[in-house]
Order: sequence, then C-alpha cells, then structure tokens
Amino acid sequence: MAVENRDPAVKLERGFWLVTAVLAVLSLIAVVATVLYPVQRLLPEAAIPADQIDALFKFLVASSSVVFIFVIGYLLYFSLAFRRRSSDAPDAVGVQIHDSQSLEMWWTIVPTIFIIVLGIFSIKIWYGIQVQPNSGLVVEAIGHQWFYDFRYPGVHGTIPNEMHLPANVPVTLHTTAQDVIHSFWIPAIRLKADMVPGLINTLRFTPTNPGRYEIICTEFCGTLHGEMHKQVVVIEPQAKFIAWLSGWKSKNAHASDAVPAGGGGPPVSLAGGDAAAGKALFAQKCIACHGAATNGFEKRVVGPGLDKVLDDPAHPKLVDGNPATPENVAKILQNGYHGDMGQMPSMGANGLSAKDVANLVAYLKTLK
Amino acid sequence: MSVAVHGEVHGGGVADHIHPEPQTFVRKYIFSIDHKIIGIQYIITSFVFMGLGGLLAELIRVQLMHHSGALVNPDTYNELYSIHGSTMVWLVIIPLLTGGFGNFVFPLQIGARDVAFPWLNMVSFWIFPPAGLMLYSSFLMGAPVAGWTEYPPMSLQGAAGTSMWAAAIFLIGVSSTMTGINFLVTLLKMRAPGMTFTRMPLFCWAQFATAPLLMIATTALGAALAALFIERQFGVPFFDPTKGGSPVLWQHMFWFYSHPAVYIMILPAFGMISEILPTFARKPIFGYKMIAFSSVAIALLGFMVWAHHMFTSGLAPWLQLPFMILTFFIAIPTGIKIFSWLTTLWGGKIQFSTAMLFAVGFIATFTFGGITGVFLAAVPFDLHAHGTYFIVAHLHYVLVGGSLMAILGGVHFWYPKMSGRMMNETLGKWTFWLFFIGFNGTFIPMHWLGLLGMPRRVATYDPQFQTWNIVATAFSFVMTAALLLFFINALYSLRNGRKAGPNPWNARTLEWQIPSPPPYYNFKHVPAVFAAPYDFAEPLPYRGLEGELDPSVPAPVPAGH
Repeated sequence: MAVENRDPAVKLERGFWLVTAVLAVLSLIAVVATVLYPVQRLLPEAAIPADQIDALFKFLVASSSVVFIFVIGYLLYFSLAFRRRSSDAPDAVGVQIHDSQSLEMWWTIVPTIFIIVLGIFSIKIWYGIQVQPNSGLVVEAIGHQWFYDFRYPGVHGTIPNEMHLPANVPVTLHTTAQDVIHSFWIPAIRLKADMVPGLINTLRFTPTNPGRYEIICTEFCGTLHGEMHKQVVVIEPQAKFIAWLSGWKSKNAHASDAVPAGGGGPPVSLAGGDAAAGKALFAQKCIACHGAATNGFEKRVVGPGLDKVLDDPAHPKLVDGNPATPENVAKILQNGYHGDMGQMPSMGANGLSAKDVANLVAYLKTLK
Repeated sequence: MSVAVHGEVHGGGVADHIHPEPQTFVRKYIFSIDHKIIGIQYIITSFVFMGLGGLLAELIRVQLMHHSGALVNPDTYNELYSIHGSTMVWLVIIPLLTGGFGNFVFPLQIGARDVAFPWLNMVSFWIFPPAGLMLYSSFLMGAPVAGWTEYPPMSLQGAAGTSMWAAAIFLIGVSSTMTGINFLVTLLKMRAPGMTFTRMPLFCWAQFATAPLLMIATTALGAALAALFIERQFGVPFFDPTKGGSPVLWQHMFWFYSHPAVYIMILPAFGMISEILPTFARKPIFGYKMIAFSSVAIALLGFMVWAHHMFTSGLAPWLQLPFMILTFFIAIPTGIKIFSWLTTLWGGKIQFSTAMLFAVGFIATFTFGGITGVFLAAVPFDLHAHGTYFIVAHLHYVLVGGSLMAILGGVHFWYPKMSGRMMNETLGKWTFWLFFIGFNGTFIPMHWLGLLGMPRRVATYDPQFQTWNIVATAFSFVMTAALLLFFINALYSLRNGRKAGPNPWNARTLEWQIPSPPPYYNFKHVPAVFAAPYDFAEPLPYRGLEGELDPSVPAPVPAGH
C-alpha cells in the first residue's frame, strides 16, 4: 500500500554512453578553443590586471561550457530517446525510480569541489587586483553630469575629459563624484569603480599597452548618461606623458588661466568665427540634445531647438533670462547652464575651445 | 469571521471550515474571499500589466534600433525602462508566482478548503491593482528615470512621479508581506490529514521556501522606500551625501530585499517545473527530498548575498569575499535541481504537451542564466561586467527564460483546472517555439554587447553596437508575436476550448482529483493522504475522494458563523 517499494535496477542503454562520449568530445573541443582564443583580439588588454581578469573569464567560460554542453546534450537526448511513441499504451509509465544516493552525492560533491577551485582562483586574482603597487602616479577622477574631471599632481585646477597615463608606471586612481553616482569603466583595463559623492573608490593598475581607450559611465546618471562615453585615456611613453603634463602645468599655472570645468573666466572673443567649421561642430556636439538645426525654439529634445535663435525679430528669445544675443548665447556655451530649461555642460566639459565657441556662434547666426 | 484557528480539528490538525457559498456577483467575483478566485484575479491583473510592460519593452527595443535613439528623447526613454522594470518585477512576475499561482494551486494541493486568512488574502489582492495604477499614473507627473533600482542621489533629482513610484511599490510590498504570512500559516496549519512535509507536492515546498522571503525581505524594501519618500517630500536626508546622508545605504537596503526577491521570482517557478516534468514524463520526480531541501537552502543563502550587486559601489574590499563565496555556493542547490530534473526525464514516456515544452525549454534557458550568474559572482569578472548589457542579458535569462517560461508552462498546465477548458495545443506549440527563438535571439547578443563596452540604461550608444541591437530588436518582435498568440489562445479557449474534465493530464496531485473548475468548498470531504503524489505506476495515495466527482453526493454544509 505505502509506496516504499524498492526502485528497479537501472541499466543505462548504449545510446546514453554514446551520447556521453560525444558530449565529452564536444566539451574538450570547447575547453581547448576557449583556452586558445585570443580575447585581446576582441577587446585590447591595456593594463595589468586585464590579463588576469581575462584568465578568470576563460576559466569560467571553459568550465561552464562543459556543464552547459552536458545539460543541453542530455536534455535533447532524453527528450528524443524517451518521448512517448504512438505504439505506447495510453497508460504507459516511465521507469519508476525515485532517487539514487550515490548519484545525488556525486552531483553535490563535484560542484562543491568546482566551487572551491573557482573560489580559490577568484580570490587569487582578486588579491592581485587589490595589491597592485601603490607607488607611481596618483590621479584623481571626478564624475559630473555628464563629464569627467581629472586632477594631476602639480597641476592647478582640473583637466576636463582628458586622461593621459604613462606606460609601465603603476597608477592609483582615486574616484569620486560631484553630483550623483557615476561609474568609471575602462573596458580595455577590465576595471570599474562607481564614483559615489562623498566616497572615494580607488582603482589600481599598471598601463602596459600604448593606445587610446574609452572611459565609459556605467551607472545611470541622468539625461545624457548614454553620452558619457568616448572619453579617452591615452597611454604613452613616459617622455611624451611628461611633456603633456608640463603643458597642463604651464597652461593652468594660474588658476584664472585654467579651463574651469564649471565654466567661468573672461568672456571668449567671438571675432573671426567660421560658420562652416561651426556647422560641422554643431552636427558633432549639439544635435544630441538640441535636435536638428531646423528645429524651432519650442521643439525641445533635451534642450530647445536652435533654429532662428539669433534671428527672429517677431519672437525675440530669452536665453537664461537675457535677450538672445550672440554674446549671451556664447556665455551659455562657455559656462554651461543650469535652470528651468534643463542642464547644459560648459565648454570645458564639452571639449570646446574658445575658437570652437566663436565658430558655433557664427554658425548659429546663419540660421535664419 | 476568520477561520484559521476555530475550525473543527480532526486527523492531523486540519481546519475543516467551509464558507457559505457566495451569492452575489460582487461577493463571488469581485470581493471574493475564495483563494481560487483571488488567484485568478491576480493572474488576470498581472497579465494586463504584462501587456503594458511588454509594450514598454518594445518601445525600448525600437529606440535602440538606431545608435542615436530612434524614437524618443533620452528623458522619455529613461522613464520607459524604469517603469518597464518596475512593472515586470512587482506587477507581473512576483504577483503571478505568489498571489496568482500560489493562491490558486497550493491550497488545493495540500487538501485545504482555503488559505488560513481569506479576508487578509482579499485585502492583499485589492491593494495590488490600485498600486499598479499609481505606478502608471507617475507618467502624468514625470515618471521615475533611474531604473527599477532608483539609486539616490539620482532618484532624489527625479520628477514628482518618483515619489509616486515609491508609494506604489511600498503598497505592493505591504500586499506581498501579507501574502507571505498567509501562505506560511496555511502551509503549516491547513494540510490535510496525512499530508506530511515529505508528502507535500514540490510546488508547495517552493511556496513554503518563498513565503518567509516575502515576509522578511519585503520589510527592508518598505523601510528603504519610506525613507526615500520622506527624503523627497520632507527633506530628511537619509541618502543625500551633501547633507550627511549615504547613497550606499539605499543600495544595502534595496538589495537586502531585491536579492531575496530574485528567489521569490524563481523558487515558485522551480516548483512549477517540478510538477510539470513528472506528470508528462510519467515518472516520479527524481530526488524529491533534495529538490525540496535545495529550495530551502536557496532561500536561506538568498539572504546572505545581497552585496554581490555592490562590488563596484565601494564596499570594504575584504567584505567582497564572503559575498562572492556565498553566491558561488548557491550554484550547488541550483545544480542539484537541474540535475534532478534531467534525471527525471531519463527513462520516461515523455508527452510533449505545450506545458512540457515550456518546462524543458526552461531547463535550457535557466541553466544558461544560472551560469552567467556564477560568472557575475566572481568579483574580478564583475568589475568588468557590472552595469553593462551583460547584466541585462543575465537578468532576462533568469527572469524571462526562467520565471516567465515557467509561468507560461504553468498557465498551459493549470488553465484546464482554472477554466474547465483546454487551451489549443497547436497554438500553444507555436507560442512555445516563437517565444523560445525570439527570446534567445533578443537576449543572446546582449552578452557580448555588454562585455565589449555597451553600458545599460542608455538612450544612445556607440555606433559600433548598432547591428547587434537591430538583431535583438528583430527577435523581440518574434517574442512579442508569441505572447500575442498566447493571449489570443487563452481568451479564445475560454469559450471555445474543449471541455477539460477533472484531470486532462492524468496528473496525481490533489487539485486534479476534483472537478474543473473546483467548487467553492474545494473538497466535499477532506481526503487523507498516505504518500507523496509521484508514483505513476501506483494507485492514487488518497482516501476519501470517492464522492468528489459524483454529482449525487451533496455539497458539504457550511459551518455557521
């Protein structure tokens, strides 16, 4: 009556062993292919510890592809081999087995051993990341909506959106944010840190491979989060790095000469603006937020449309509470804007030079 | 009056209380206290919200067909995915698995006449639709933009709708907590005589592991949401760093709920798979005890891993290690389940109904999602992948390829019991194949998009990623077609489906031994149970069910109030 009857003895069919052999071969191929595959062809390894993290990634892909191949292989094989056939009686039942202590023990013990190996390997690589050499260059990165600022030893003020690093010098990068949480990710180095206002999160790495690489924000930070990428790290020979750094040292020697990320400084000169250069720049830098140049002022994308912004006598526009004159528009381009129309980064944050501002204003004048 | 404790007790401590039959339409279908009606109310409401959340998903996919955004401006886009995520987590997956299938199925499976607190159950449900409407009303006042996680200080900058979001999710949390208490007490106190814990169907075990998560974890979310609401409305600085608050505090509180919530969203799905597989393989579920215990192990471990969402947030470095190791360990009970399900298929006489196709498909996609979960638990890998489309891919593999696949299987499986009619199997098989292909095509490319440098939650992106985004969008239309087909099938079959009879799948759990749909009292006579329900070669292990399908046996008499 009670269903405590013993399970029937199980004899595995020949097909099972055949499938197992095929899956074992496939697994072996997958493991070998994973180990041999050059990950850096897809995404360059620009610094230590990118190579270490890639080694862990390969270990994860190789070991889990074995698990995946066996699970999917058996799933397909069992589904086909043990499907109900039209010759089966309507009340046909399968093999009435309930459990198997040895089998269940194995599939508890083997994954446990695997987890322990994976844990040890992960901790080893984690430790390597934590104890990168502390000496060398110390750089500070500050996240803003929606750009990065950098501070270097010996440079007054900040350097917006431009991080140069010397090759083969250990870097300690302290990160924080000014407004909301941002994130600082260099895919080519495989590292990221959230930039949290009020906290300092530190990354340590040693650039090895000269080139330009992206810095990407991966923590949602507002309207233009998606545009907070394509920033560059340039990793270069030490001599060139020192030249770049001394360039900034003299450029920012007096705080008033620095290009402040928040804007400020004397008004830029609008003389000699080149409308054609401005047009190219507009397509590159402005349309993401302001839309096409044919958009009227009332048509907002993020900011207002800019068609006829400087030339519409019937409906004179106000920018930041002032008449839309070339000078007032240039002031916004230079210093940014924060108010009821939204937010716009300054020329420093947008990577614009004084000449660029003059060119853009010249172009805006042509929109009639 | 409530029923839990004063009902007649006989046999194994069962409350054999019968409500009077509801007489009016309102008491029968609107303000019902019948767990089956409430379950169906949850299921219908959740599927309505799934339609809305799915529409938002398609808008997201259309936007991403062009690297500079094909549809809307960034601010609107941010609203779309924030409400999409919030809808799918709190208005679709959680209510479907707990309030919906939990309510309808498990009281029948343990031989109860209702849940322990039927009025509380009704209140739980009726908090849910208004809270959902509140969430959607946030579109009118500027919806939240910072994703379903709403990290401050970003969420402190958000428009007025962010406070509405917090209030709506808070109410959903209240409803969830009440459901958790209700289910736990029901499972502990309302089982039929002889329905010991080792004879309980595995879906009940899954609900038993889930209920404490609902009860305990949701309170942390409630506290976090209350704090966010108070800070936004009254300026008390819990999270604003410029006034002495801590933005990372929110992350701890949020994930202390939301990681267990991940298991709220998958354990009942595991339970469904454990019911569907043996029924259609005509075999006992393999390793019953290990499957049951692994649910409890996952629930316990689930409380100890929340900070693995925060490896880049600025945890003390040494603190990353215990969270990494504990997260790795969840792979062991999860693996036990997958291997046990596979072995259940071996030697079976498998009938590939639509429900079974979804269950088998679930094993494939969930295994994949589980594996990428192990990847992400490894801190060094997470430092690269965190916050990218790899995360989007992983979470959709477990929540869509996992939870939603199980739910669709569950609907095809229990629809005959709920409605008394069969769903169309041909349409069902089309649904499965379109869904399976559409789902994998949509989310597979996101793995490499993320690893190569595409961050999540972006309205615009680097042009190099456009091709694969177009591929993902194209497949997402296939998935949407599958879901439309599913809705058509469910609605069409309601009137035109073949009559199901009590037990169309020849299943063995108790709900299949009574008429479809079951009468308001569930069982004319509460049966005695003397074995687990998975021995397909044996007679049914119940006594006292003889009159259930016999119309000449009268309905039981309600106890007086």
